[in-house]
Amino acid sequence: IEGRGLAEAKILSVWMILSVVLVLLPSVFRVSLGISHFYVKIVIKIFEWATLQIEEGEDLFPHAGIIQREETSMEEEIAGQHQGRFNLADVMYFSKKGCEAVAEDEVTQRFSSEELVSWNLLSRTNANFHRVSWQLTLVWVIGILIRYCLLMPFRAKCWLGNQVQLICATLGVRCVSGLVHFHNRENRPREGGICVANHTSPLDVLILASDGCYSLVGQAHGGLMGLIQKSCMQTTQHVLFDRSELEDRHLVRKKEHIADKAKLPILIFPEGTCINNTSVMMFKKGSFEVGGTIHPVAIKYDPRFGDAFWNSTKYSMMTYVFNVMTSWAIVCNVWYLPPMVKEEEEDAVHFANRVRAVIAARGGMSVLPWDGGLKRKKVKESFKEEQQKKYCQIVTENGSVGNGSVC
Amino acid sequence: MGSAHSVPAEMRELADRTGFTSEQIEHLHRRFKQLSRDQLTIRKENFDSIPDLEFNPIRGKIVHAFFDKRNLRPESDGLADEINFEDFLTIMSYFRPIEMNMDEEQLDRFRKEKLKFLFHMYDSDHDGKITLQEYRNVVEELLSGNPHLEKESARSIADGAMMEAASICVGQMGPDQVYEGITFEDFLKMWQGIDIETKMHVRFLNMETIAHCY
Repeated sequence: IEGRGLAEAKILSVWMILSVVLVLLPSVFRVSLGISHFYVKIVIKIFEWATLQIEEGEDLFPHAGIIQREETSMEEEIAGQHQGRFNLADVMYFSKKGCEAVAEDEVTQRFSSEELVSWNLLSRTNANFHRVSWQLTLVWVIGILIRYCLLMPFRAKCWLGNQVQLICATLGVRCVSGLVHFHNRENRPREGGICVANHTSPLDVLILASDGCYSLVGQAHGGLMGLIQKSCMQTTQHVLFDRSELEDRHLVRKKEHIADKAKLPILIFPEGTCINNTSVMMFKKGSFEVGGTIHPVAIKYDPRFGDAFWNSTKYSMMTYVFNVMTSWAIVCNVWYLPPMVKEEEEDAVHFANRVRAVIAARGGMSVLPWDGGLKRKKVKESFKEEQQKKYCQIVTENGSVGNGSVC
Repeated sequence: MGSAHSVPAEMRELADRTGFTSEQIEHLHRRFKQLSRDQLTIRKENFDSIPDLEFNPIRGKIVHAFFDKRNLRPESDGLADEINFEDFLTIMSYFRPIEMNMDEEQLDRFRKEKLKFLFHMYDSDHDGKITLQEYRNVVEELLSGNPHLEKESARSIADGAMMEAASICVGQMGPDQVYEGITFEDFLKMWQGIDIETKMHVRFLNMETIAHCY
């Protein structure tokens, strides 16, 4: 029995030494051993093989939606057969549009995790990939064993990191097997600037923080996240607020922070909430009103390895953490874009849109005119009015009313 | 070997009645669950979570149409508070495109159903007639929310349209004749010769599942 105990102690000590050498030390000195790269390469090879298995002889699932929408715009469809009169057919057109919206809409699709065209051996995929070959199933089972038994406990130990922000963040990134490619590091934000990025998950913070020190502006969370936030607050300067609080208070605090040039650059996610990384939603103009230099950063995750998207209305923090820890890896690209400044005649909204376009273009994401707040609230009245104004113009333009233009 | 699971009987019945394929029904079911937040029924409030619908000027009428019992079952009337998935599918099926293999009678019935759906949208007090006021309501909704548009303009549009409808349905009216309202037969007359099939349908995609045989 003693012998066994000794052997176990030996294994344990080897394990500890390995983890120190392979994980802690490199993180402290911010050196990469290239192990992550190698691991990711292997994982890619496995996915390609898996996809090939499925692809053989079959059509891939072509369309995530159920409706093929008409390409014509409202003007063409209605005005075409108007003949200068208001027409019952218009009701038909709008009721059809209404039915399409009920069956499926662009925005809600953005708030559910991106459906993958191939299968990455995680459970989040098209519902139809449940018929697979036995080889694939075997690999999948092995994958589960590896992920749940080997990788997760390893990471769980690492999860409770230490105080120093950089080491902590780098460690954190290594722990979720994060492989981050930083591009254009010469554009990294300096003191006194505002760093602006698109938001997909709390990991965004970790990733950016591993490459530079930031002051965070964020939603105050309860629970585990709140504890982590509190411990961060003790070491560096951060600004925490509540989403529902008024705008002006934030503005004041931000201005104070920027004015003190000695402080760290502020990191802000202007979308206001996590988006699933296929598009960039409307930026809240608050951060852009403050003045100062804006350093845009584009973050794009590689969806093949794991879904970093956190739907806070659906999953709690713990569920999300569990999902992240049991995924293959988090691979992402971070592009530091050249700094931008608000021009004289520009208003905050226009500037925000300009920054957003640049970020979306770099990250290869689409730009939606929608507000991230839609995850929680309704559409603004002004959008609805725009559509109605447009319709009114078509109707009265064709001279039906006869008393001049009324729109 | 065909699909791995056999289609349950009620699914097949739904498919026959509404004309959707079982894959489309599955997809719509997922959408239904999304809208209802995993409940078994949907209420009017659930439609608030559809941003694309906010764009639509007759949003109120469309949502109302989902709960209008006249659309859900033949010979019934009134408003439902909540609808289940079957009702949801029934309303969606009004927007099905015509199929290649339909014969004359089926086509005619199909067309009548779509027009009846439209008619119910206009006839908000359920009395079987579209009165001038109801017509005005529809026009105002379509043009509403616009601060620059005078109420008078909306009215005159509606009145003009109503007069045209009267002339089609009743012919020349005497000076003291009052046009009660558009009945469903008149409504059908107005639409004679106009092709609605291309206007009032939504292209639901036919999705093949990927079947493996090993």
